[in-house]
Amino acid sequence: MDKENIITLAIESSCDETSAAVLRGGRQVLSNIISTQIPIHQKFGGVVPEIASRKHIVNIMPVIDEALRKAEIELKDINQVAVTYGPGLVGALLVGVSAAKSLAFSLDVPLIGVNHLEGHIFANFLSNPDLKPPFMALVVSGGHTSLVHVKDYNNFSLMGQTRDDAAGEAFDKVARVMGLPYPGGPQIDKLAKEGNPHAIDFPKALQDKGNYEFSFSGLKSAVLNYLNSMKLKGIEINKADVAASFQNTVIEVLIGKALDAVAETKCDTLVLAGGVAANSSLEARLRAAAEKKGINFCYPDKILCTDNAAMIGCRGYYQSLAGKKSDLYLNAVPSLALQDVE
Amino acid sequence: MPILALDTATMVSSVALADEKKIMAELTLQTKLTHSETLMPHVQQIMEMADVKREDLEAIAVSIGPGSFTGLRIGLAAAKTMAYAFNIPLIGVSTMEALAWHYPVPNVNIVPLIDAQKGNVYSAVYRWNNEKEAMEEIEEVAVYGFDEIIEKLGNSNETCILLGDMAVKKALPKKAKGELPANVMVAPIHTIMPRAATVAVAGLKKLANNEIGSVMDMEPIYIRRSEAEDLWEKRQAKLKAEAEKNA
Repeated sequence: MDKENIITLAIESSCDETSAAVLRGGRQVLSNIISTQIPIHQKFGGVVPEIASRKHIVNIMPVIDEALRKAEIELKDINQVAVTYGPGLVGALLVGVSAAKSLAFSLDVPLIGVNHLEGHIFANFLSNPDLKPPFMALVVSGGHTSLVHVKDYNNFSLMGQTRDDAAGEAFDKVARVMGLPYPGGPQIDKLAKEGNPHAIDFPKALQDKGNYEFSFSGLKSAVLNYLNSMKLKGIEINKADVAASFQNTVIEVLIGKALDAVAETKCDTLVLAGGVAANSSLEARLRAAAEKKGINFCYPDKILCTDNAAMIGCRGYYQSLAGKKSDLYLNAVPSLALQDVE
Repeated sequence: MPILALDTATMVSSVALADEKKIMAELTLQTKLTHSETLMPHVQQIMEMADVKREDLEAIAVSIGPGSFTGLRIGLAAAKTMAYAFNIPLIGVSTMEALAWHYPVPNVNIVPLIDAQKGNVYSAVYRWNNEKEAMEEIEEVAVYGFDEIIEKLGNSNETCILLGDMAVKKALPKKAKGELPANVMVAPIHTIMPRAATVAVAGLKKLANNEIGSVMDMEPIYIRRSEAEDLWEKRQAKLKAEAEKNA
């Protein structure tokens, strides 16, 4: 079969989004249906795993059905099924994995288990049709911050990743302490636009040359300490300045390490991936810094930055071309990490 | 035409193929492997062994709780997707009713006890109606402390038989110590845990009565809410009380 016409149905349920997508070939998205639970978890100030799982089991069939209808694809046209098997919330992942296994069995087509974080990187292929490996990927999501050297579609080298809190976690925690609603990342981004990014000097960790690991827990503590000490002293804080200074510190760390990694590997392209890629300041400043050095920069459309099944379908497609498929014993792996792939 | 039945409500993983006349195949395992890993391979294996083709299936019956939240969702996600893909009816069967079908005999109170965590059990009482050939729920499912339900059954003066994972975990040790009331028996090991054969039998009955579930919307029977919801409600009640006090 002509590989450009392979139809992939993809399923994603790793956290608080239930999503199904249909792709023709590796890059043509015929549909990408996302049912978000953000309003449901808002009152709890974060994602409640059991509630997320309960919503997934209700949403999964309507989302799959809608994805097929919107793509104008019938079940018999599906050539393969791709699904996120980690990382994520185990109960949430299991709904998607179970549905995908059952669908692959029912249709008698191959099953492809996909690493959610690799999916985020591959979202770039959907938004940027001309993008080809090799390139450097900066992955910044709720639970992960990493630099991955993508040498080929199925050959990655992990340059470094977070030792403790991911950038997204730090955003959420700082937002929570400042009394901003969940999810905190977009709120900080919005508030930071009105503040002075150089108002407060927050610390940066692991700044040695050639160190591509990240650590944001010290920064998070510094922000919390600052807020507490101001409160004790009875000094009113300027929330916009705190948000702007915190965000600026995170962005400077990310840009510094990303550009160093690009230089070391002699890549000519840097891509941004993951939920935090939707942060407008990060995107704008990374682009400016890359362009100044003559490095191509790209990032996914906003909808493809969030958790979505289209990116899983794209990753699954390239995996299956290399024969990297799963069997019906596939299980969810909640702590699945990004690692070297050859 | 056979129906496929699944039960992943407890640590037992069970799949069966049955029609009105016979159980064609059943695969029941209680091992350390998770349902997520084994369920679909088992479905594939029994269909091959029984020489049933995908297009031959008439319906999918699935045990929908109460039981392990995650186990129930694994079974239901698989069942829904198959029913959708084959365009055949989906039948939800209460895990308790399926257990009760082990004892279609009159004049006995059949009492499934399913783990509700923290020493609690989900329990209901079933009785076989011989005229209607129906398994009837005479007391609906509720959450009890283990000792509380045993005392209640002891005072009922009916012959009771206990089944389910909590009958294994709690009633058998109590029986060994001679602490069970005289009218309360515990099922032997081949009927004490869920088996997909009884899910199939109960499911066939529902199919004949046209009690079909919704492929799009079916949910497990959880009984209990998530802990986060309980805590949130308690916090809201506290805040409200404080606000009223201050007003």
